[in-house]
Amino acid sequence: MGSISLNGINKSFGSTEVLKNINLDIKDGEFLILIGPSGCGKSTLMNLIAGLEELNAGEIVIDGKDVSEESPKDRDIAMVFQSYALYPTMNVARNICFGLEMNKVPKSEQESILKRVSELLQIDHLLDRKPGQLSGGQRQRVAMGRALARSPKVFLFDEPLSNLDAKLRVEMRTEIKKLHKRIGTTMVYVTHDQIEAMTLADRIAVLRDGELQQIGTPYEIYNDPISHFVADFMGSPGMNFIECIVKDENLIIESGGKKYELLIPCTDALNNSNLDVVLLGIRPEMLTEVQPLAVNNKFIQKVKFDVEVIEPMGADTVAIGQWNDSEVMVRLSPESGNSAGNGFDLQVDTSKAILFDPSSGLRIR
Amino acid sequence: MTSFKFTKYNIGRAFIYLILLFFAFIYLAPLYVMFTTSLKDIEEIRSGNLMALPIDPTFYAWKKAWSSACTGSDCNGLAPYFWNSVRIVFPAVIISTIVGAFNGYVLAKWKFKGSEFLFGALLFGCFIPFQVILLPMAKLLGMLGLANTVTGLVLVHVIYGVAFTTLFFRNYYVGIPTELVRAAKLDGAGFFAIFRHIFIPLSAPIFVVTIIWQFTQIWNDFLFGVVYSGSGTQPITVALNNLVNTSVGGKEYNVDMAAAIIAALPTLAVYVIAGKYFVRGLTAGAVKG
Repeated sequence: MGSISLNGINKSFGSTEVLKNINLDIKDGEFLILIGPSGCGKSTLMNLIAGLEELNAGEIVIDGKDVSEESPKDRDIAMVFQSYALYPTMNVARNICFGLEMNKVPKSEQESILKRVSELLQIDHLLDRKPGQLSGGQRQRVAMGRALARSPKVFLFDEPLSNLDAKLRVEMRTEIKKLHKRIGTTMVYVTHDQIEAMTLADRIAVLRDGELQQIGTPYEIYNDPISHFVADFMGSPGMNFIECIVKDENLIIESGGKKYELLIPCTDALNNSNLDVVLLGIRPEMLTEVQPLAVNNKFIQKVKFDVEVIEPMGADTVAIGQWNDSEVMVRLSPESGNSAGNGFDLQVDTSKAILFDPSSGLRIR
Repeated sequence: MTSFKFTKYNIGRAFIYLILLFFAFIYLAPLYVMFTTSLKDIEEIRSGNLMALPIDPTFYAWKKAWSSACTGSDCNGLAPYFWNSVRIVFPAVIISTIVGAFNGYVLAKWKFKGSEFLFGALLFGCFIPFQVILLPMAKLLGMLGLANTVTGLVLVHVIYGVAFTTLFFRNYYVGIPTELVRAAKLDGAGFFAIFRHIFIPLSAPIFVVTIIWQFTQIWNDFLFGVVYSGSGTQPITVALNNLVNTSVGGKEYNVDMAAAIIAALPTLAVYVIAGKYFVRGLTAGAVKG
């Protein structure tokens, strides 16, 4: 079916290198997310897989066959574009069948495919409409229908949800995930939205400045990031980063006007690094109000915390304060009743804390 | 009008309308004079007022202008030349529009090394004055054996028009999202299929603009017509000139006026029929998918 191997991909536009030596194996049936900030080359990589751009070096193998030199139509790939790119003069039915028509699929077969696809996506009542008469969500479905009709080996999605409003985006996200479950075709999906990445992916590939930073499951990317960049990119509210002085395998932090020595895991690595100052990375959900029934764990510690700003988000409340002159976000339950300007006892769980080299941004481990 | 007040706004409006009416009058006055004069007989023109309505309207001048007025030594009216113009204009407009559409498609969506330069060079063609190419073109037509023929004139107009039609189509097609081309490529459509199934159906407004433009240009052309035509292949503009300059006895102003209106009628008709698309086409922006 649709496995993809990218081997040593290089791509430049003029003198700017957009992609540098990308190596990536995508398994058959996998849902792979390409994520990164804008300008990191993720869309270019997708266009290369589709054959819409030409490689400067490397090879693309789909289903065991080198397709680097083949034209897009011979790669058996379907793509959903950010702007949907529906053909404006054709009605929905013809939009969906255009690929079949071009590939000379018999009319009767086209009809049955159209019926199947439009029922699957619940757009069978829209078949006579033109794209201009559809809402954003409906266009999105038609664009997916067009991709589905040809039953390709691989689906490519280029930020397909970024033109939708927030509520519809969440709905369509779930639908794409369901769709993947049902048809089991390999999907490569470009986004800059880390929540989309976390929720949809089997594996996430994080790109930065044309280089592959890390590839792994959402759990690995979230909990075991390879660098400051990856850690910072994933999660909302984002991970806290605090520069700390190292003292006897502990980190010194100043919080609520007092100094604390914070016990942390991975002390061996810290010793080996010989650094005097490290960057502590700790997720906001590891900083909470004191839990009465907390398990006994030496990494759970208490510090005083002064709240500067409170941001209620419904399910939980984010409180912002200072540690060592860096902003720190903590995640409280909405019932905790803390308010800005107050201090309280903060429970810090450092068991999942990670350390970075402040100069290189790489993990210390 | 009961609630009309002399507010600042209303006075301003009135002033604007007055100016517009004044200019409309200035622009339409010649047409009025031409039309009324063409319906008068020659006695009335000599004795009467230029602006007066005809006392006894007659289509004599129109008949004569169409079928029996003298254009040089022939006295068959404008009719044969009218059909010459038709035989020149239709193929020239159709060919130059199709070539322009195709050029525009390539220059907008299938860029290649040097395509921008090529487009610039083509644009340059829009600025070359007619007079400059008269002699070389005459030489070329002679070499091709097309001198003094309708085909030759068609060729000249196509070559001269392609610069404009390419510019129109290229600028229109640049506004069509490239993602449509990419989507169609992935759907398995090739160069021609994309043009036929996606671009042509989107092109109605720009086709109208180009056809009006080319039709007007070629129908109204005098210089190429007078230089490259033979005695039997002259377009109507040249014949009109000959008609007006041929005087047997006194000047027949009514015939001249009728002939001028006949010569201008087709372009007028094109504007009336397709004019609203003209404005729409010129201002048409990107196509939202």
